[in-house]
Amino acid sequence: MLIDIKNIYKIYNEGLESEVRALDGVSLQIDRGEFVAIIGASGSGKSTLMNILGCLDIPSYGDYSLDGTDVTELTDRELARIRNREIGFIFQGYNLISALNAYENVELPLIYQGISILKREDLVMDALERVKMADRAKHRPAEMSGGQQQRVAIARAIAARPPIIMADEPTGALDSRTGRHVLEILHTLHEEEGTTIILITHDNSIAATAHRIVRISDGKIVADSKNGGDLQAEVAREGGAGS
Amino acid sequence: MKLTQALKMAAKSISANKGRSALTMLGVIIGLAAVIILVSYAQGQNLAMRKYYESMGENTLDVYAYSWDGSVDVNEELYNYCQRISDYVAGVTPNGRAWGVSISYGVQTLGEGNSYGGGIMIGGGGIMIGGGGGNYVEPPTFYLGNDQFSVCNNYTLARGRDISYMDIERLNQVCVLGASVAQSLFGMIDPIGETVTVNGMPFTVIGLYAPKGNGVTEYNESGDNWQEVAMSRMDNIVVFPHTLTRILNENQSIDEYTVKARDSQSTRMAATLIKSFMEGVLGDNGYVDVYNQTVYQEEEDEANKLQQYFLGGIAAISLIVGGVGIMNIMLVTVTERTREIGIRKAIGAERKSIITQFLIEAAMICGIGGIIGILVGYLGTLIVGKLAFKIVLIPGAGITVGAFAISVALGLIFGLYPAAKASRLQPVEALRAD
Ligand SMILES: Nc1ncnc2c1ncn2[C@@H]1O[C@H](COP(=O)(O)OP(=O)(O)O)[C@@H](O)[C@H]1O
Ligand SMILES: [Mg+2]
Repeated sequence: MLIDIKNIYKIYNEGLESEVRALDGVSLQIDRGEFVAIIGASGSGKSTLMNILGCLDIPSYGDYSLDGTDVTELTDRELARIRNREIGFIFQGYNLISALNAYENVELPLIYQGISILKREDLVMDALERVKMADRAKHRPAEMSGGQQQRVAIARAIAARPPIIMADEPTGALDSRTGRHVLEILHTLHEEEGTTIILITHDNSIAATAHRIVRISDGKIVADSKNGGDLQAEVAREGGAGS
Repeated sequence: MKLTQALKMAAKSISANKGRSALTMLGVIIGLAAVIILVSYAQGQNLAMRKYYESMGENTLDVYAYSWDGSVDVNEELYNYCQRISDYVAGVTPNGRAWGVSISYGVQTLGEGNSYGGGIMIGGGGIMIGGGGGNYVEPPTFYLGNDQFSVCNNYTLARGRDISYMDIERLNQVCVLGASVAQSLFGMIDPIGETVTVNGMPFTVIGLYAPKGNGVTEYNESGDNWQEVAMSRMDNIVVFPHTLTRILNENQSIDEYTVKARDSQSTRMAATLIKSFMEGVLGDNGYVDVYNQTVYQEEEDEANKLQQYFLGGIAAISLIVGGVGIMNIMLVTVTERTREIGIRKAIGAERKSIITQFLIEAAMICGIGGIIGILVGYLGTLIVGKLAFKIVLIPGAGITVGAFAISVALGLIFGLYPAAKASRLQPVEALRAD
């Protein structure tokens, strides 16, 4: 079991009138090499779940074991190491550093990993080529379109070849053609490298391409295609109706 | 992450954010330069005062003494008593002023009646110096003193000889000239042994005092300070044997004396001794008072120190203003930087790496800004020194190092604090900043 969360809660303003249970007792297991799509309405708790899975946030309650390690027990330093080596995170808003060009942005996680400059160059250029952005290496984010920025962000996530990629609505701000291209990159990674992919989307046609679909509503998992049922077909139908 | 990496990262961040870096540096430069210039100005002011006191003669007493009915020879009594307490006293002289005197050599006349305008001298018969353009030439001060006048008033003889006991006894018609008087009357000619006309009577010039000031005799727009003016006025004097009050000052008695003590301790002792002795001698037939200039000087020094504290306070405020400027620019960019920290943490930066990078960044900016600030401060101090004191004023090493250390520390604190705070956040929280 790669990812194993049990009874995770994330509660904002706990005990106050404004209390929000963004995650309300979520349990989920994901195996190595899975391609999982997480779907749900806006505000249902998808991002909150993803941030906790990506070690970008800590749950209010619950257990999280990543590759056999109890994540809730880790120090800031050990968490940094996991974010650096185990997980590549792709945000909806790209989150590139605006003062750095494409090359430097992709290089950053490799620097933090302590990889030598020569090896870094190979890895950075390889990642940029995978997303077809090698010719824009010297461009700053402001000089790129949204789709190009997201591809650079993907290059940054995959440069260190992490075993897990987590993407929070990576196509949300892109037009459908660019979105499909981004999705293709993720599928290629999954097929060629065996990378575990966790993808959040509210686009059912995108979710339908995943091998497993988890639906979340009001901070609770309400359906999981792994547990049988017809979620895959249902989602495909919804997606068809939606588009 | 290695230190060299952190260095490179900081350098990259500085050059990638030129506007922000320049504004932060500006805060450091202004704060540091202001401190250096202000504190140096205060020190220059002090230096000028010190020079002025030295020229005036340190450890001197002003004695006012007179006999109502002339039954006591005050000069004789004081002179003899000062000889007796010579352990404390280095010299004593009458410090009389002769009024309405004019002195001329050839066609040049100085003194009574020459003060304004370019007209013909009254009673002198000569043409005024520098009078053509209606310039103001300050008339010299005419003193009546004895053989110790120069000692008591801190003059050194440049040429010739001083007034002697004989000159006083015999009422010799001789005089010693201050540097600027000699220059005005004689120009390039050697005045020693020349005969000048004083109130129509022939006098021999026997000596010439070395100059004290720079020849500045009036305040003007270029900012000559009063100490300079006062010191230059000390060169604009003529000294006669005091016994000549008979012919130069309608035989008015001289009531003012200057006593030169050996050191500042002796000054207090001498003041007490002289006051009680003269009171004894004069009894009800006269009056004596002794003013200790050292006390005034000490008070002045105290006031100067206060002024220095005051300027130091202003300097501290300007440093704080500079610091607030640094803090402001840091806070303005704190959202952007917090997001950046969030991104860096999300892709695997440890807290330590982030702190190191921001620390180096702030240190680089403050270091460069600090060096420029010191250069600006030195330049400003040189200009201020030239304009205000006519000297080459250079900031002290203490203030330079101190101000540099403080401004760098401020930059580090204000630069690092937001970063340290942001680096403690969970990555999502930092990324949410807006
Ligand atoms: N920092 C926060 N403070 C308070 N409430 C929050 C915070 N972040 C998220 N929430 C709330 O938690 C819920 C789940 O949010 P999110 O996980 O972002 O949903 P999704 O990604 O599915 O749209 C929402 O109701 C949201 O308003
Ligand atoms: Mg979301």
